[in-house]
Amino acid sequence: MMNDEMQEFERRLSRQPLRQIPGDWRGEILAAAGRALKIERPEPIDWPSALVSRLSTLLWPHPVAWAGLAAVWIGIFAVDLSTRDRSPAEAQSSRPPAPEIMVQLRQQQRMLAELIGSRDVQDADRSKIFVPRPRSERAEILAG
Amino acid sequence: MRGPDLERLYDGHAQALYAFLLNLTRDEADTRDLLQEIFVKLARNPDLLADVREERAFLIRLAHNAAIDLIRRRSTRDQTRERFAAGIVSPFAPAVNPDEQTFRTALAGALAGLPAEQRSVVHLKLWEGLTFEQITGALDIPLNTAASRYRYGLDKLREQLRPLYEEMKKAE
Repeated sequence: MMNDEMQEFERRLSRQPLRQIPGDWRGEILAAAGRALKIERPEPIDWPSALVSRLSTLLWPHPVAWAGLAAVWIGIFAVDLSTRDRSPAEAQSSRPPAPEIMVQLRQQQRMLAELIGSRDVQDADRSKIFVPRPRSERAEILAG
Repeated sequence: MRGPDLERLYDGHAQALYAFLLNLTRDEADTRDLLQEIFVKLARNPDLLADVREERAFLIRLAHNAAIDLIRRRSTRDQTRERFAAGIVSPFAPAVNPDEQTFRTALAGALAGLPAEQRSVVHLKLWEGLTFEQITGALDIPLNTAASRYRYGLDKLREQLRPLYEEMKKAE
């Protein structure tokens, strides 16, 4: 009996309708939450435009001077490229000098050596002539 | 990473959170501030609801914690003001029938006299229709605690409303 009364009382309470949330709160609260969302997650950075902006800020005081410096560097780079040695592959593909040129080159070397009178060259020539022999053979030559 | 669907959350849960918060704070401005605080928190922490199975229970817990913090922060003067204002700020909709309106006003006053812990459980059980298991999940309290808080709260309400309630029953 007591329990039934209590249940009836509970039902009566639960039937009481609750106050409705004011309609204008929706926009205000969602706007506040939206602002918090933007603060928490800022817009993604546009790197190219950010770089341009940063560079323009940096170079703005003397744009002509910076442009001149850039032109000088470009010129240096171009000159460096044009005077650079050919690649090894390219060097290997080139033909060896002709035999006539080699003969002429040797003659010129010999003439130069004679004119200078270098000992090194003489020694070098002598070393080509001298052929060592066994000691017994040399003794025969001396005895004969 | 996508943020939470705040509009869907608002449309689905704001009314329940509003009534719950209003029943605890008895102040519309405080209720609005707390509700906004909850949605700002959801916006700032998109993963807050990621692994949550029952959104309503989770949001009620957020609301409950926020309201309890507010009540603790309130000064004695504010608590006195709350007691005087209890009859004015009712969590119930106004009634056309004068007898019903009298009962709702008395009920609002009796609820305001309950400790916040009992008021929370009574509100969730009677007006949210949650089971004790769901209430334990929402308020993070043991099942026995939820049941005993409800029983004590309901007994107090019944005691306070008995004369009016019996009179209304006779009239019906």
